Amino acid sequence: MAIKIPTLPEQLPTTQPRFVGKEIKRVEDPGLVAGTAAFIDNLSLPGMLHCAILRSPHPHARVVKVDVRAAEALPGVFAVLTGEDVRRWANPAYTAPEGWGGYCIAVDKVRFVGEPVAAVAAVSRYVAEDALELIEVEYDVLKPVPTPAVAMAADAPILFEERGGNVIQSRVYNWGDVDRVFAEADHVVGNTFRWNRVGANPTETFGCICQWDTVDNALTCYGSYGTPRFWAMGRAMALNLPTNKVKVIPQPQGGAFGGKGGPRGTDIAALLSRKAGGRPVKYIEDRMEYLLAGFGQSWDRHYDAALAVKADGTVTGFRVRLIDDQGAGAEGWGTISVAKPLAAFTGSYRIEAARYDTVLVATNRAPTGPYRGYGPPPHFLVLESLMDMAARKLDMDPAELRRRNYIRPDQFPYTIPSGNEYDSGNYEAVLDKVLAMSDYRGLRESQARGRADGRLIGIGVVSTVEPGVFDWNAYATVGVQGIGVPEGAKVAFDMLGNLTVVVGFNLQGQGQFTVAAQVAADYWGLDVCAVKVASASTDIAPPSFGQGGSRLGVAITGAVLGACEKLKAVFCQVVAHLMQTTPEQVELMDGRLRLKANPQVGMSVAEVAGTMLGRSDLLPPGMEPSPEATFVWTAEGRTMPDDQGRCRSYLTGANATHVVMVEIDRDTGRTDILKYFIVDDCGTRLNLANVEGQLQGALAQGVGAALYEEYVYNDEGQPLVTTFVDYLIPTIHEVPMATKDFIITPSPVAPLGAKGCGEGAIHTTPAAVLCAINDALAPLGVEITETPASPHRLWKVLRQVAER
Amino acid sequence: MTTKQRICITVNGVRHEREVEPRLTLVDFLRHELYLGGTHVGCEHGICGVCTVLIDGRSARSCLALAVQADGCDVTTVEGLRDGATAQLHPIQQAFVEAHGLQCGFCTPGFMMTTLELLTENADPSDDEIKEALGGNLCRCTGYESIIASVRLAARRLREQQGA
Repeated sequence: MAIKIPTLPEQLPTTQPRFVGKEIKRVEDPGLVAGTAAFIDNLSLPGMLHCAILRSPHPHARVVKVDVRAAEALPGVFAVLTGEDVRRWANPAYTAPEGWGGYCIAVDKVRFVGEPVAAVAAVSRYVAEDALELIEVEYDVLKPVPTPAVAMAADAPILFEERGGNVIQSRVYNWGDVDRVFAEADHVVGNTFRWNRVGANPTETFGCICQWDTVDNALTCYGSYGTPRFWAMGRAMALNLPTNKVKVIPQPQGGAFGGKGGPRGTDIAALLSRKAGGRPVKYIEDRMEYLLAGFGQSWDRHYDAALAVKADGTVTGFRVRLIDDQGAGAEGWGTISVAKPLAAFTGSYRIEAARYDTVLVATNRAPTGPYRGYGPPPHFLVLESLMDMAARKLDMDPAELRRRNYIRPDQFPYTIPSGNEYDSGNYEAVLDKVLAMSDYRGLRESQARGRADGRLIGIGVVSTVEPGVFDWNAYATVGVQGIGVPEGAKVAFDMLGNLTVVVGFNLQGQGQFTVAAQVAADYWGLDVCAVKVASASTDIAPPSFGQGGSRLGVAITGAVLGACEKLKAVFCQVVAHLMQTTPEQVELMDGRLRLKANPQVGMSVAEVAGTMLGRSDLLPPGMEPSPEATFVWTAEGRTMPDDQGRCRSYLTGANATHVVMVEIDRDTGRTDILKYFIVDDCGTRLNLANVEGQLQGALAQGVGAALYEEYVYNDEGQPLVTTFVDYLIPTIHEVPMATKDFIITPSPVAPLGAKGCGEGAIHTTPAAVLCAINDALAPLGVEITETPASPHRLWKVLRQVAER
Repeated sequence: MTTKQRICITVNGVRHEREVEPRLTLVDFLRHELYLGGTHVGCEHGICGVCTVLIDGRSARSCLALAVQADGCDVTTVEGLRDGATAQLHPIQQAFVEAHGLQCGFCTPGFMMTTLELLTENADPSDDEIKEALGGNLCRCTGYESIIASVRLAARRLREQQGA
């Protein structure tokens, strides 16, 4: 029997939802503020050893010799792991496309600064680090490949010799008659853009405790793991174990934002445990390791792009050439970030034709990994900057140009040229609301007054679409088919009617335990605090992906609701049997199973659960006495990608428009954000506080990417950023406190009408801030198309003007 | 291996005598010798403020201090915030929950300890004073807005409590 998932909160079996759609306190918070939450470094196991990793100082070198004898002899050292061990016991990282990954410890050559070359397990981290100093490594230094330009040159040194070159993938997508729309355009506005590397930098780095069972040849990993099932599968592949012999126990995580690497760290700790006779080994990445090589680097991009525009402002074509510096191979899944823009390639607009010409290149920078948004934020920076350039060309207000090109409400569901289908939206209503809220006209007047006084004041108005709820097909074009997977949950009542929801992931900060509890509480008429949400290890959890792709809030809602629906059907059978009627005559409302015809007659959920477990004789003949149900949710209607990568991939399309006003200091190049306004529409807001928090947090990261954050490498491929003194995370002084509002256009296809919203404002903020900066610079006839638009970059631009 | 030194540190009102290596950081001492895991480690180079504790009432980076430097000192950690008898959350903790001043919660103990110092000195801080005080604590989740609201709420609660 097909399970029908409610698509609006009003369809829940309650007179009035008490928790869904409200700003409620999170169930996860008391332990977090008390300091008792079990982050990985708070765990220890009997006999546990501590791992430290020796890392390469060279971007590109052959490893000639690793001498670990002195380290092994140090008292307190139990195992030292080298390339020889991993060559024997492990496989190179599985990558997509295949064949672009290294072993967890370098076996023949190192390809980036920070790549592990040896590791130690000792009685303490202090002793393990002492031992690292005793390891002697002989390198044969090779010519580095610091940039894609060098990588693609004819005589370039090759990172992965067996691949024969440094280009990981080269692919051109054509959607519609691109050449025609550009030929017929009244204007073509184009430019090059440089998005420098940024990354997640959660306040907690990666950590794990791994224990190799030398009897059963199995592995258990505790750690700061999002997507635990994928970790288990990856470890099985890397370490030559059957997938059911790797058990991953996810601990609460101190943030992740996609960038919480650790496959190498996990594999190293696991093999050290194996070498140390099965003693558990803890590895806690430190911040310098994270900054060097922790998969916290993303989106290193060189763009050349153009829009085809009609004289009336209609945008007809969008052409993008992207050279993406993936770093030293594809082990960090950075390739996906090139594929994801297909889900929202043309943003909020009716653009009839588009081309995406992509080259993914390997260099001797650190491998790139996921980061919140996973690709579209730089893409939208390009699209929205070009929209502003078009507006300037046409002498049109940038808000009006956008309005003219929006997909209209009556056009949904709307299929964009790159194949994805947007579910719903009302972009013009969002724009109108943010223009009114910001007093846009007043802002422009204030800008004019400021300009008359010689101040550099600019305004950005930027609209984007946030693809939500990715699926198996979303990244198939870079060879990652099957990564979008179903999400499961179990709802289980005990004898006394207390409810536990079992999920396959752990806390990461977005508040999904609260979402699961809210949904279950409203469904069964319970208090939200009475619902226990439990995280299960991979060996017993239902199928689960966990956090990622603005997906989990929607997916876990679907999973919990599906399980509740299944269980309700069973409860209706029990009550019908007891009351000598048919299940169709029984309904659930406000926590009671009651007769539709006579609502005073019924049983509480606790009574039904207790009866099932305590009085099997009262149950319908043959019924399983189990007041629990598991449901695995997945989106319907996902399609196979065609030869141009087109498919229905992401289920929902949230949207937002930001209005930002900035001022640039002429003397220092420093940008101050004067005002910031956001109106968004992510459908039903399951928990107002959660959504607000995701928005403001993503705004902060977007400001960082636009103005401050950058992984800098020198011409030799040496990283110049190794501490938070160099990598500038925005503090409380840099982040604008945005004025926010929203509209609600429920998704017609997602559980309770909620659209994925976790990645949020980072899609929009970098573009909005850069557009505002260029609006400020426009009277000077200069522009900046490189991020971050840091003071030194802007100062150089302003110097051009001064020297003219 | 270096010679150990005998130290005596009072943490949350409890005296601890231990022999430690001089190189042991205060945060490692708190976390791994005393099993007070609420003080977290974010950068180990004094920028992020995740490891903030109070040493003799002043906020300090416990990753940059050595345990031996805190010999004879009075240290307060996040574990010292809750009421010892009832285990009730401190008004600052309660305010962070109610005003959604956290997401992942990893930086939160550091923010709350800095807040404790601020509110001890200034019972009614302005937003600018709150920002000034918290400028040395990094949060990667919240974008700080709800943290400022939490501190405001905590200040109000504490004032009400003292007025009552």
